[in-house]
This record gives sequence, structure tokens and C-alpha cells, in this order.
Amino acid sequence: MSDIEKRFDKAVKTAKLGLSEDEHDRLYQQLGVFLNWLNPLLEVDTAGIEPILLGHNSVNVLREDCARKGVMAELQEAAPEFDQGFYRVPPIIE
Amino acid sequence: MDLRNLSVCQAVEDIHSGEYTAHDLIEKTLENCTLLNESLNIFIHQAGIDALEQAKAIDLRIEKGEKLPLAGIPVAVKDDICYGVLPTSFGSGGFSDFYSPYTATAVEKLMEAGAIVVGKTNLDNMSLGSSTTSSPKGATINPWDNSRAAGSAGAAAVITGAAMVALESDSGGALRQGASSCGVTGLRPTSGLVSRHGLNLHSSSFGQVGVTALTGKNIDAVLQVIAGYDQYDASTLISKDEFIPEIEPAAIDNLKIGFPQSLVEGLEPELKTACQETINLFKEQGFEITDVSLRMLPEALRAYYVIAQAEASSNHARFDGIRFGTASEADNLEELYLKSRSNLLGREGRQRSIYGTYLLGKGNFDLYYRQALKVWNLVRREFALALTGCDLLLMPVVKNLPPLLREEKDLISSWEEDIFCAPVSLSGLPALSFPAGMIGELPVGLQLVGPPFSEKTLTAVSDIVVRDKQLFPHGKA
Repeated sequence: MSDIEKRFDKAVKTAKLGLSEDEHDRLYQQLGVFLNWLNPLLEVDTAGIEPILLGHNSVNVLREDCARKGVMAELQEAAPEFDQGFYRVPPIIE
Repeated sequence: MDLRNLSVCQAVEDIHSGEYTAHDLIEKTLENCTLLNESLNIFIHQAGIDALEQAKAIDLRIEKGEKLPLAGIPVAVKDDICYGVLPTSFGSGGFSDFYSPYTATAVEKLMEAGAIVVGKTNLDNMSLGSSTTSSPKGATINPWDNSRAAGSAGAAAVITGAAMVALESDSGGALRQGASSCGVTGLRPTSGLVSRHGLNLHSSSFGQVGVTALTGKNIDAVLQVIAGYDQYDASTLISKDEFIPEIEPAAIDNLKIGFPQSLVEGLEPELKTACQETINLFKEQGFEITDVSLRMLPEALRAYYVIAQAEASSNHARFDGIRFGTASEADNLEELYLKSRSNLLGREGRQRSIYGTYLLGKGNFDLYYRQALKVWNLVRREFALALTGCDLLLMPVVKNLPPLLREEKDLISSWEEDIFCAPVSLSGLPALSFPAGMIGELPVGLQLVGPPFSEKTLTAVSDIVVRDKQLFPHGKA
């Protein structure tokens, strides 16, 4: 089994996809064509070029850091038992 | 009442002045939708009574003196954009009865402005493609040539009068190519101008929400409403405090338009003619045309498919039948994952998830993925450099006609159709496809690409051509 085939099988397993034998073979054959097609990408001289992660130059946008009324009061009211900041529930471990 | 002879601004004015009601307009549109859907397969879900109820509510608000910038405007929404009132399929057979618990921000903004969703439009499997041929519901038929796919169901809706505006997604060029194939105008906005909250992204880096309409002016009216900061999308560029209430009107005198002459050499003769006629029209307007160099398109296309597939493999991980999607019957958890995911993702989704996982794996990450991210940087620089010598770029949108309904293209051939669109997506710049000519009986578009936030210039310039070239299909439309 070639390195590419091992990696392909690992990718199929990791992606958690059930493939028929036909589809498995078709995708594997096609992968070779795809990787060949990518050769011009690998030939680009990228020495000194930083990889980028956003299509635009921007600063992060964050919402205002302000307190909101939560649902704690309603939750406490709905809980069968609430004690010192904890919800008391029946034991689940014997 | 023919929606195709009506501008968005005119319809809004008519409804406010009592010429006709929003209910009248929506009722007529829904009739069109039903009729056209039978022959063209445009919609996955139609709004029906919900849309009529909303129209009544809009009419009541207008009666009370409210001014709504998009009062009664019928909008088609691509089915990868969430709208809580109708099911959202994402182009998957496993989501046929999924109701999103929330509505996408762009759709909410449209509705607040008085627009009414008339239906959810067809799309490729998991929105992975730009033809609709891989849709679980079958392809949308091109209104101009019924043996071919429409490319985009939203564009087909607009050109046939089944909607005045379509809200669509564009990653590698689906919106722009669909607009080209149906003879309408389609805008992919500057990355971050329109919120993507509620859009099912397969590619986080390149997916955008855009607008399709008959004219650039109609697009302006919609963009004015949907652009801007969204607290639910941290990638929106304009912060709340810096929100621009009105995008500056475009000054389009003495524009210099860059045209990469080398790109047209391998094109169909009719497409070359469309380029030349558009250039002539621009020259008549007093625009200067200058040759520019865009040499990295082939490498940019490859970088797009590496990054987009890597991201799809990650974004599609949640479609497992437990977190999202219908669970398949299984004897154990592993089997449930395998069966559910295979069913939910479909053929195209499975392929991209596996190749994306492969590209991100040990030994491949640096070789392919990291290299693609670096090439992305170079592509951005190339576009920025090209725009230092001109105001806008004029480029083709498509290489070929939209596919025949039963045509099976091989993987690489179908990806290479994106050679003019995917690289622009990498640039992050706004791009607008507009009808520029005909190849036989089918329309073909060109695209204008501009600096960030130059949307209004793009629409103003494209309308010069649209006024001259706008045609409508015969027959079923």
C-alpha cells in the first residue's frame, strides 16, 4: 500500500464517512488526478511570504462587554433544590 | 404587472403612494413562482400564505404612515441561508424538514425594511458547486435554454419575474456565474460588508452573502439595507460605531478600467466579442481602458480548492445526525456516524470532506495547505497591485456555457470553470457580474472588480452596459 493510499484511507476513517467500494475506488483514483493538478501550486516561490488567514486587513470586532440579565433567577426557581449556589440533584452513582 | 419592468425603487414608491398594495405585488409574484417552478424547478420551498400575511402586515404599516425602504419587495433566498419560517435544506436530502431556530441577519434586515421572502431557491449539494446539477431536488433549468442548467436558481427567479431580488451565497463564484448564465446582475460584496450569520458556510474564508437583481440600482437599494455591523458575525468589517449609513454615491467620470488582455485569448469568440463591445461602450463613456497583468489565476484557483476543501472538511464535521441532520438507523454509534454523515453530505460533500481531511493530514498540511495560504497572500498582492494602475478591473466570469442537464464533467474540468471567479474570492474585493452579450441563445456576463467598498461604483458602471444589453428569455419566461 502506497503512502498516498494509507493517508487516503486514514482521511476516509477520520472524516467518518461510509463509502461503498466503488465510491472509495473512484475517490482514490481521482485523488491522484487532483494532486497532480496541484503541482503548479507547489512550484510557486513562497519564500518569505507569510500565510494569511483572512481575506481582508481588519481588526477584530467585539461586542460591548456589558452585563446582561441572565436566567439564574428563573433557573433557581424551577430547580427542585438549590443550596449555596449549587443545584442539588439525586445521586446517580450507587 | 411584470416584475421585470419594475425597479425596486419604483415598486416601493408605488406601494407607498397606493398605486397598488404589497399584497397585490406578492400575490402576483407567488402566481409567477408556482407557474415557473413547475417548468424550471427554481424553488425548494415556496412561502405561499406566510408571504401574503406578511404583505398584509406591511400594507397596514404603510397605512399608518411608516416608510419602509423595501416595502413589499419579493425576495428569493438561497436555501443555504437560514429563514425560520420555511425549512432550510442546505442542499442535502437529510435536511428536508429542518426549520432553523433563527433567521440569517441579512434576511432579518430585509424583512425589517419591508421585503418579503417568497421562497427558498434550489442549490447544489451542500452548496458545493455553481450549476445546481448536484441538487438532491434536480437541477434548475435555464430559462433561456431548457437543455442547460441555470447555474443559480436565484438568478433564474430574477430573470423570469419570480422575484425582484435574490439573496445568494458566493464562495468560488456560484452567484456571479449564475448571474452570467441567466442574464442578470449579481454582486459579491467586499468581504465583511454583509453579515454571514445564518449562512451555512462550507468555506469560512471565502463564503459571502451577495445580491442578484436585474440592475445595479436594484442591488444598491438592497445593499443599503443589509450592509453593516452584526454582533453575531465578528467578521463584519464595519464596527457598530463606524457604521456608514449610506455608501457614498459613485463618481464615475474619467474612470480608468484595467482589462487583462491575456486572459481572453482562449475564450469563445462570442465571449471575446462581448468583452470588446463592453470596452467600446466604456470608451464611449470616456473611460480609459488599460492592459493589466493577472498572472496568478491558475495558482489562485488551486489555492482556493485546497483551502475551501480543508475548510469544508472542518465545517461539515457537525453534520453527523446528532448535532445536525437526520440520524440514520444504526446498531451502534460508529455506524450511526458513518451512515448519517454519508447520507447528509451527499456525493460532492463526501468527496470534499475526504480530500479536505487528506490535505490537512500529517505530511500534507505544510505541503498543500500552508503553501495555499501563502499563495493566497500573493494573489491578494497581485490584485492590489493591478488596482494601483486603474480604478476597476474588467474580467470574464465564465469560460464556457452553463452545463447541459445530463452533462457529467470530470472533477478538474468543473473546477476550472471557476478560473475567473475563485481568484477574485481570494482577493476579498467586491465583484459584480453583469450581462454583456450573448453566446448563441444564451446570455453571458463579465465582471467588474473594484477596491474594498467600491460597490456603488461597480453598480453604476455596470448599469451603463445593462441599459444597453438587458434582454429577457422567450418561451417559458
